[in-house]
Amino acid sequence: MSGERRGYAQLQDVVLDPSFPELDLALRRGRHADRDDLAWYTLLIEAQDHLETFYRRYGCELIHKPDGYFYLLPTGEKLSRRQLGAGDMLVGQALALLYLDPSTIEQGGRITTEAVIAQLVVVLGSDALIRAFNPKRKRYDERVAQKTARARVAEAIRHLATLGFVDLVDDAQLRLRPALLRFAEPVRGLSAPAEALAKLVAEGEVALVTEGEGEDHESDDGDRDLGSDEDDGPRANPSGESSESPGEDELLDDRPVDFDRVLFDEVSATDDDEDLDT
Amino acid sequence: MTTPRRNVEQVIAAIAGRQPALELGPVDICFLIALHVRAEGANLTSFTEQQLEDVFAHASSIVQPEADQVRRRATHAIQRLRAQRLLARVDGQGVVRTGEFALSRLGTAIVEFYLEEDVLTCASLTLLTSSLRTALAEVLATARAATTPEQWRDGVVGPLEITIAELVAGIERRQRGLDLQQEDFQAEIRRLLEADWFGALDRCQALLESTSATLRELNEVLLRDSSVLLAQLQDIEDLAVAAPHAEAEGAAHRLMDQIDRSVAWGTARQRAWSEYFQYVHRYLRDVVRLDPTRALTQRLRDQLAGTGARFALTHAAAPPLRILRTVTPVRDKPPVVRPRQPREHDPTTEPTVDPQALLDDKVRRALDDGSLALSSVTAVVTAELPEGERFVEAGRVAHTVAQLARVESGPERPWVPVGDDLEVEEWRVTRSRR
Repeated sequence: MSGERRGYAQLQDVVLDPSFPELDLALRRGRHADRDDLAWYTLLIEAQDHLETFYRRYGCELIHKPDGYFYLLPTGEKLSRRQLGAGDMLVGQALALLYLDPSTIEQGGRITTEAVIAQLVVVLGSDALIRAFNPKRKRYDERVAQKTARARVAEAIRHLATLGFVDLVDDAQLRLRPALLRFAEPVRGLSAPAEALAKLVAEGEVALVTEGEGEDHESDDGDRDLGSDEDDGPRANPSGESSESPGEDELLDDRPVDFDRVLFDEVSATDDDEDLDT
Repeated sequence: MTTPRRNVEQVIAAIAGRQPALELGPVDICFLIALHVRAEGANLTSFTEQQLEDVFAHASSIVQPEADQVRRRATHAIQRLRAQRLLARVDGQGVVRTGEFALSRLGTAIVEFYLEEDVLTCASLTLLTSSLRTALAEVLATARAATTPEQWRDGVVGPLEITIAELVAGIERRQRGLDLQQEDFQAEIRRLLEADWFGALDRCQALLESTSATLRELNEVLLRDSSVLLAQLQDIEDLAVAAPHAEAEGAAHRLMDQIDRSVAWGTARQRAWSEYFQYVHRYLRDVVRLDPTRALTQRLRDQLAGTGARFALTHAAAPPLRILRTVTPVRDKPPVVRPRQPREHDPTTEPTVDPQALLDDKVRRALDDGSLALSSVTAVVTAELPEGERFVEAGRVAHTVAQLARVESGPERPWVPVGDDLEVEEWRVTRSRR
């Protein structure tokens, strides 16, 4: 594009832009940036050439979608990457459906958490929805299972908000963002969905999930971005992709994640880290 | 709006005391609207009872064509409207003859709300602001010439609170009308897309553009004219302060607040509409244009329902930066314990004190010092004792003196005082037994 448009003659000019440090950190943590992030988006558009070259050196591709959003896709081993959990994927696809629904434009893309759950119920049905969010329980109390499902949906929405798929307006409301169309990528083209999916897998955009694996990802939702296991570096997942899979103990733990607790544990672990003393 | 600011509690209590209630069905509202339209069309200032029944029959034939007993229902409808003060009898003749009726202010307001006549347009706003400028110029001229309180009240306060305030309230009323119209536009865009997905594209864009243009023009007029109006009101307020005339000052100040509110409305609505406009414009471009047959929604729904392979999106997940700092290792603190002590103690030898031996020493010293009478020995030995112990000790002293020395007593045995509280029978000590 035109890196020279606003005085970005060199990469140094881009790096010296006041918005760059935050944008860089956000992109590396998986954030999607669109036109609503005005300063970031402008910087990305005007310095796209420089930044594409810059991130390629870290083994990443700076992706710019025609729908009007950017994100960083790690293709090498230098930058950690993750896959969204099964719960995140379900909620993300429901949100994408709502994004496409003309009824949401009346409120300018603002919807409630209840609308997301209602959308999931319409498409999946109540039983399938509860099973999807309570995968390890063969027998369950209906009331408790429903409560768990609602909590998991809210948790997934919070996680998707940190990645820039939605904006949290308040406790009950959220605003849909264009990056949600990523969830519809396998079915957007004219080719068959399986073919499109295979292409996306080859590009590293998505990873195939085998039966039972999604449940494991879901249990890892809470602490995936908190750096609890990043020190170990990327690990290979069953599909051959490099990813940071949760440990076995974490897989068995399907309790809702207490973010404060996780953060606290993270701090404690840092304090006890012997490497810090050297 | 322009009446002096009242206490909210008082206003609410006064209204609640009147127990207001409104209960209107679709037929009642349509009846009111029919009356309003008929009055406008035929230049009627009031309706006879027969005219009311005819208008009701007409409205009912449209709203409920199959309903019967129209005359009876008309009577009930008129009664309901009168009870709720939407329709007022205006002839004042009572039972003398059939009455004449007109819509009350409340009834007219309800009708106007549904007819949406008061939507703010660029033309109406320009007209209102120019009328305001003219009226304020006249009031300002009057204020400059006013010298008496009567001139201030009649020429400044009156026009400010009635004429000018009505014009400003007219702008606010039309702003609310435009708010409603915008809501309808937003719902209309949704309905158009739901009814005719790709075909509605041009219509939606036209609606968006027209509303954006209207808001932009309104905001421009508001920003341009409000500064002139505020300057005029500021001049009036300054004159009122100099006069001084508190009522005029308050009226001018309230109007300035109202105009500020109108300007703020324009800015806020334009900002909100701009956000909505961008979202819908993006939606039309990215979703509707790229998916003219709406196949994407169905394919995405199938994907969510579980057809096809399951997949997960990949995203970057760099760990947060760790900020290194000096860590002082925490020292292990010893546990808190109680020192062990033997419950049983070994017996120890303590020197014993013989009180008689002590007394013997004291008496002996007294005798050695030359005391020759029992009273003098007793006085020396018991001198340091508390008052209550001296009596008992005096007996022991007598016994000890008898043991340690030879004592004599004459046939007369005098009682001799020892201090203030004691008397002893006097003995004479003749010889020590030592």
